[in-house]
Amino acid sequence: MMNLLRRLLLFAWLATIAPANAHRLDEYLQATRISVDLARVDLEIDLTPGVALASKVFSWIDTNRDGEISNAEGEAYAQEMLRWVVLKVDGWPVPITLVDANFPPFREMSLGMGTIRLRATARVPAAAAGRHQVSFLNMHRPESSVYLVNALVPANPRLQFADQRRDFAQHGLTLDYTVTADSPPDRTLALLVALAMAGSLFLRHRHALARVKINSATLHKENHT
Amino acid sequence: MKTTLPALILLALALPLAVGFQPRANSVTPKVVDAANAFLATLSDADRSKCTFGFASSQRTGWSNLPTGIFHRNGLRLGDMTPQQHAAVLKLVAAALSREGYQKVTDIMNGDEVLKNAGGGRTGGRPGGGLRFGLDEYYIALLGTPSATTPWMIQFGGHHLAINVTVVGANSVMTPSLPAAQPAKYILNGQTIRPLGHENDKGFALINALNAAQLKRAVLNYSVTDLVLGPGTDGKVIQPEGIPASELDASQQALLLDIAHEWVGILNDEAANAKMAEIKAGLPQTYFAWSGDTKNGGLAYYRIQGPTLLIEYAPQQGDLEHIHTIYRDPTNDYGAKLVR
Repeated sequence: MMNLLRRLLLFAWLATIAPANAHRLDEYLQATRISVDLARVDLEIDLTPGVALASKVFSWIDTNRDGEISNAEGEAYAQEMLRWVVLKVDGWPVPITLVDANFPPFREMSLGMGTIRLRATARVPAAAAGRHQVSFLNMHRPESSVYLVNALVPANPRLQFADQRRDFAQHGLTLDYTVTADSPPDRTLALLVALAMAGSLFLRHRHALARVKINSATLHKENHT
Repeated sequence: MKTTLPALILLALALPLAVGFQPRANSVTPKVVDAANAFLATLSDADRSKCTFGFASSQRTGWSNLPTGIFHRNGLRLGDMTPQQHAAVLKLVAAALSREGYQKVTDIMNGDEVLKNAGGGRTGGRPGGGLRFGLDEYYIALLGTPSATTPWMIQFGGHHLAINVTVVGANSVMTPSLPAAQPAKYILNGQTIRPLGHENDKGFALINALNAAQLKRAVLNYSVTDLVLGPGTDGKVIQPEGIPASELDASQQALLLDIAHEWVGILNDEAANAKMAEIKAGLPQTYFAWSGDTKNGGLAYYRIQGPTLLIEYAPQQGDLEHIHTIYRDPTNDYGAKLVR
């Protein structure tokens, strides 16, 4: 009874909302940012339903129709959304793991300004030096969606991005990149550290030898006196 | 002695010229500090505590272009102020910005009032029951203590406007900020106002100044329907696309810089000039990307991205009367480079 009342209130409130012409109306904006590293690819997916789609999107998530998104419902929707995402590294599909899912209150969503934020990751075999490719495809709810997909500049200096290719609607992005071998500064640093350690060992050894010599000299002197 | 004294005076006068005389390092910060303190002096203790925050508080990143009713702004609302307080806020904003920048902010705010009066934001016929925007719904917040030496910040914004000015000694920066407009064109007191008209026209001027080969590099073969790095994406840097400015000729580069100045020049002239010099230095690594129609009047998105700059211009949902833009510096948002 309470659920029914809550739903009625929800729909009554929805009915009072004039199309907020200042904001997204009948599109479901799906914006993805991709971070690539040597052994992982991270996805930040922001989903913003327009005013006219809010109740529909909400109903996809609120499966028990109680007017609220529970943790279980949120996770189920996030997992369902990710089933429509294909991530490939060097042509091989890689499994995507949901890391976090945040859902806005229905009120925000109903005004076309609530954003669902999903964070996901894919562990991949560490990329060897050379050319590589990552491709992303999102086919979740294409009938009512618009898409953005962008690669973030890699934090790892060993990765250099080259060509990016997308389809017109930005369902997908294919990104070529190069992984360089361990950078020369790292090697130089390692060499310097090794030299410093060797030098330190050598000096310690010399110092110890000198002390032995002094001790034996002192002993020799003492014996003579 | 008689001859040495005039010689010393002459030397003292000539020395600054000899070492390359610089005008006073900064004449704006003291004025902005004075204007901020004058505003604070108009407030009761309760109001002052409502609109002042710690410089490093979470308020710094708590800005949005969304209207009241969906985004909760901290600070003091223009609509709740006395005429004296209201005037003091506008005087502070004017002190921090350039004349053109202040005009742009005013045009955006007036446009929002026009939108409100056209019926936007009403729910069920009850004005104010849902989204609230218009001239009364702009807020001011100050972070840190207004000072000519230590860092502090001015946040001024409402629907379709977020201005974040960080002041650090003689320097001020205005990134990130979000100037937007809806409607993109309106008539006020018999005058046609286009708050972001230059941003539109100068973008089209540059794209039409490119030759076929350059166009091929600049125009993205996919549609961009919104800002990529809008509110809530602080610290993100996307892989640049489009044509590098190193492949533009001098006149095209000048057009590109002129577009950038539309955002950079919102801030006071001293700070804007310094920023423009920085952008100019990074020009070879700066990209211009375009998506959409290339005929002025058509629908188009564009992006300028350089080492210390990101600008996006994005019509919303195919509506030429509804424009969002963003202005960022990936190295210096909120004055990150200056605040140690």
